[in-house]
Amino acid sequence: MDLGLRDKNVLITGSTAGIGRRIANLFAAEGANVAICSRTEESVKLAVKEMSLMAEGRIIGAPCNIKDKEDYEKWVADMAEELGGVDVFIPNVSAGGGNDSERNWWKNFEVDVLGTVRGVEAVLPFMQETGGAITMIGTTAAVETFMEPQPYNAMKASLITYAKQLSQAHGDTGVRVNVVSPGPIYFDGGAWDMIKISNEKFFGITEKTHALGRLGTPEEVANCVVFLSSQAASWVTGVNLCVDGGYTKRVQL
Amino acid sequence: MKVRRQQKIQRTTKKQGKNGTPVEVAPKPELGSALIPKERYVSPDYMAQEWEHMWSKVWLMACRDEDLPEPGDHYVTEIRNESILLVRQKDNSVKAFYNVCHHRGNRLVHSFEKPQEAATSFKCKYHDWEYAINGSFMDIPDLETFPQGAPPCGGLTELPCDSWGSFVWYSLNQDVEPLMDYLGIIPEHLDPYHFERMVLTKTLTVEWDCNWKASVDAFNESYHVQGIHKQLLYYLDDLDIQIDCYEKHNRYLIAFGVLSPRVVAPGEIPPAIKVVMKDAGMDPASYEGSVHDIRHAVQKFKRENGPSQGKDYSALNDDQLTDDYHYMIFPNITMNVHADDLMLFRQRPHPEDPNKMLFDYYMYELPDEEFDAEEYRRPLHKQYKYGEVSLGLVINQDAYNLPFVQKGMQSEGYEGLWIGDQELRIRHFHDTLEKYLDSGAVTKK
Repeated sequence: MDLGLRDKNVLITGSTAGIGRRIANLFAAEGANVAICSRTEESVKLAVKEMSLMAEGRIIGAPCNIKDKEDYEKWVADMAEELGGVDVFIPNVSAGGGNDSERNWWKNFEVDVLGTVRGVEAVLPFMQETGGAITMIGTTAAVETFMEPQPYNAMKASLITYAKQLSQAHGDTGVRVNVVSPGPIYFDGGAWDMIKISNEKFFGITEKTHALGRLGTPEEVANCVVFLSSQAASWVTGVNLCVDGGYTKRVQL
Repeated sequence: MKVRRQQKIQRTTKKQGKNGTPVEVAPKPELGSALIPKERYVSPDYMAQEWEHMWSKVWLMACRDEDLPEPGDHYVTEIRNESILLVRQKDNSVKAFYNVCHHRGNRLVHSFEKPQEAATSFKCKYHDWEYAINGSFMDIPDLETFPQGAPPCGGLTELPCDSWGSFVWYSLNQDVEPLMDYLGIIPEHLDPYHFERMVLTKTLTVEWDCNWKASVDAFNESYHVQGIHKQLLYYLDDLDIQIDCYEKHNRYLIAFGVLSPRVVAPGEIPPAIKVVMKDAGMDPASYEGSVHDIRHAVQKFKRENGPSQGKDYSALNDDQLTDDYHYMIFPNITMNVHADDLMLFRQRPHPEDPNKMLFDYYMYELPDEEFDAEEYRRPLHKQYKYGEVSLGLVINQDAYNLPFVQKGMQSEGYEGLWIGDQELRIRHFHDTLEKYLDSGAVTKK
């Protein structure tokens, strides 16, 4: 199956580490031109250098604080100009979990919600003529009770609604909008790495809760994000794809 | 070493003012690398030697000064089969006595580990022999029926007794050196914490199925964090630790509010470090910096906000505002010393069995501006068997494991402790213990 990503221009936010980085790596491996960002120039430079070693397409990047609207819009414009357009957009940055104070609500709103909305509005003009794909990152914590009532879960849930409505509104221009909602994903330095070490029992219970009996890998999430963003998924729009090895138990009718 | 990152903890190089806690690294003692024989942990004979040459020679912690505010207030503590009665005197000093009536040997005061309010005298419950609060005989009923008269000792047998650091100490050794000489560097190091400002918030004793030294050892090294306390790898640096051994006592300085180099930095602030921030009055959600800078951020925050929270940190250096300055006062006091609290363990041998001990747990906390001294009630002491009470996750983890250590030590297949550099304090503790036992052997000849 040809994903048809060769020479496509892909913008990914928060892509120098973690799941975002694996998504960027996979787009690069598929021959796409990839633009990345993170808050520090140092980490962007390092990631661009590392990714370029294995990429056939162009790998570019610049530091960007997506909480700063102007900075964020400038990053999108700069990357689009340098690559010559935008075909795929992955708003990946998240403020993460936490329920310490009301401030967590503001942070998840600012980073997860506005960090997606502002990016979408900045890239849509580039997709009006050529079509394109936007794949947002949700979480299974948005669709089933998880840990505690916290802003991360609720704010991520709002993205699923937003994506569905965007997909309806922009379908006529050939823009597809989908969400990938990962379940618990294990990787070095991830939240589940910490839980595995500090609370082995809970980690074990969580593994067993998965129908497939283990936690997912970032690559398994990246596979789905890249697929939904590719021509191979040309007839898929407005879906929320839970990538969780059977961690969630609801029937998705 | 088994690490996933390289890390160097930044430590204060200067003490806080001229009376601050010294921070310099003590010279590393040459203690060799010999195996520590397991007999010290399991042998009734070694236990007897310890009693004869060590427990009966050293200074021991009894209670707090504030447990005895008024003349006549008294407190009973126990070591092995001895019961010690501590009594506040009219001149504000404290006297320690063997808690035994000279008549037929009855314990004079039957309570234990419980502050008792002003007695005007102590009357034995058996035959009403009565002693003044200074220990001298006040009344022997029917004295004329004792042809030999009253015992010539004149009253209760007194023991050396003194105070330091808000604690009352006693010794079973009539010829013991002065307390301050015995404590050595300890007062200079710990006075800046002003323990007298802290209030007791928890006190209990648990009988554990292990030798008392197995417990002391468990708190004297951080090498076991990666094994038993994995959750602490997201709370402290278990490798870059400053270990200082002094004459009898020792300490180590552990940075809190940091990650261990044995783990990769997570994208989010670990829950235990969030607690450090919240306890200081910071909102983790508002923190924008790196997880590696939180320790310094908390230090700075506490330095700036301590006074408005009613907390005087002026005698403490910045590291002391976050870190564990962990002291072991020979032979049996473990102090987890923090700016806002002191978690103190007193480890006592079981009266007969080297495979058992008494673990005394005390939590002292520095009151904040909301503390109401009028409302405060000293918690009551209770004694438990292992498993009847939780001491918090970390100590529960140790307590669960120690009986297995003690069982293992009794195996024919085990010779003794194979100690590494990270466990230097254990070697130093044994060196001090052996010096007591050796000096006893010399005296005997």
